[in-house]
Amino acid sequence: MPVRETDLPNVGRKYELDLATGGRLSVVIGHDGTRTLYRQPEGGGDAERVAELTGEEARQFGAVLGGAYFQPAESETADVPVGDARIEWFDVDADSPLAGNSVGDSAIRAETGATLLAIQRGADTIANPGAGEVIEAGDVLVTLGTREEQRELAQRVNKDSDA
Amino acid sequence: MAGLTLLDVGLVLLALAAAGLLARRVGQSVIPAYLLVGMLVGPHAPTLWGFRPTLVADPETVAVFADLGVVLLLFFVGLELSLDALFEKGRQVLAGGAIDVGVSLPLGFAVGVLLGFDWVASLVLAGVLFNSSTVIVAKLLLELDWIANPESEAILSVVVVEDVATAGYLAVLSAVLLGATDVVALAVDVAVVVALVAAGAVVALRGTRVVERVLDVESGELFVLLALGVAATVAGLGARSGVGAAVAAFLFGAAVGRTTLTDRVEGLLSPSRDLFAALFFAAVGLATDPALITAEAWAVAVAVAVTIPGQFVSGYYAGRQFDLEPRRAFRVGAALAPRGEFALVIAALAASVGTTPVLTERVPAFTVGYVLATSVLGTLVMRHSDRLWAALPWADAA
Repeated sequence: MPVRETDLPNVGRKYELDLATGGRLSVVIGHDGTRTLYRQPEGGGDAERVAELTGEEARQFGAVLGGAYFQPAESETADVPVGDARIEWFDVDADSPLAGNSVGDSAIRAETGATLLAIQRGADTIANPGAGEVIEAGDVLVTLGTREEQRELAQRVNKDSDA
Repeated sequence: MAGLTLLDVGLVLLALAAAGLLARRVGQSVIPAYLLVGMLVGPHAPTLWGFRPTLVADPETVAVFADLGVVLLLFFVGLELSLDALFEKGRQVLAGGAIDVGVSLPLGFAVGVLLGFDWVASLVLAGVLFNSSTVIVAKLLLELDWIANPESEAILSVVVVEDVATAGYLAVLSAVLLGATDVVALAVDVAVVVALVAAGAVVALRGTRVVERVLDVESGELFVLLALGVAATVAGLGARSGVGAAVAAFLFGAAVGRTTLTDRVEGLLSPSRDLFAALFFAAVGLATDPALITAEAWAVAVAVAVTIPGQFVSGYYAGRQFDLEPRRAFRVGAALAPRGEFALVIAALAASVGTTPVLTERVPAFTVGYVLATSVLGTLVMRHSDRLWAALPWADAA
């Protein structure tokens, strides 16, 4: 279903989407940047206000609706800045050179400068893993480092990764 | 009387803020509140418990700020005029707008004649009486959650047509008011103004690139100064040339509205518009003697009794042009009922260039009374329009 866009002079713009489950969803974006969400029942009843969002809230929530927000297991999108450094998450694929090696052998800090903070393994989190801990395929490495160091690490985790 | 002190200005602004908050609290528009504050602190202030609250003895001291308010109001009318959007639904907008303006404007003129005004004053009243308040309507559509409904598109389109008609009307009116007494000279004056406005419109439509380059500065603060400066200069030149400040500001707004800067202007200049418009409303109040309004009370009552029902009828049929069901078309009539800023702009023009006491005193006082009554009443009928509709004997309750 295409989104219908209408100019509302002196107010802003309106975007409408007819839902497959019936009814219609409308967003009115005011000139002041507020986004107001309305839902219209089937059969032409009056629109009901669902929520009013600020521009920032709308961007976040829009990302959630679009499936682009909060995917901690996907290294490319998850990144939390900490001063110059940032925390990133890396998936260890089955064909990763690190899979099957111990943390000590991997020498992540020595080779890349990034620090391994934790390993997420399924529902478990191994915080501050020791040198003897073996990295397994399917693990998620939680690391701290500058953008440079993280890029270096990304190449070590997955050889074919061009990140 | 000397100019204003900082204390005077502070107290006036505080009074406006307090009145505005109170108006919001009771679900009313700020416009009547600002008008009343103006009257209360002006030279005609009534004595209350032995105390006269006059703060601004000479309305002229705020005149230039009020003028800026008018310039910005008309500038935004131009800015909001999206020709593309109008053409998109061209037939509906034109038919709906033509019904609304075509009924309300002559009706206003007839009311003027009925009340015993001469034809020039009746022409002014036609403009005052037909003009729905864009400010009040846009605000209430959001507040009542009508904005996502189909009737809102119709209402806002009709309001745009009314506003554009007002800009053209103001040009003709200033020629009539400034002008000549015999018909031929008047026709020449009006023709000159129309030609100037047409030339201005061509420049506005063609000058998009130039306007965009002139206004293209990064800093928000400089952008506001530049845009305000150009708007005021263009309006001032318009006033000099006889086209009128309001129309010139409208054309400049239309030119800016065609650039990619529209959203930025909207965001950065809206606060200035709101501030100066508030000062304009207060200034109109300052210049108004409450005793004169009382003298016009009957005329105001007659005008309200004719124009508001008239607006319901013309609004209903205008709404039907947009293929709205009857209940929603009725809402269009209700939404067009509030009068406000442009009625006051027209009356202020009559007061400043009019030559007879009717134009400089009776018409402005009548207009303030009419706007006070219809802004409040219009807000109420809009809020309760569904109940009014249900009460109509011929309304289908479904």
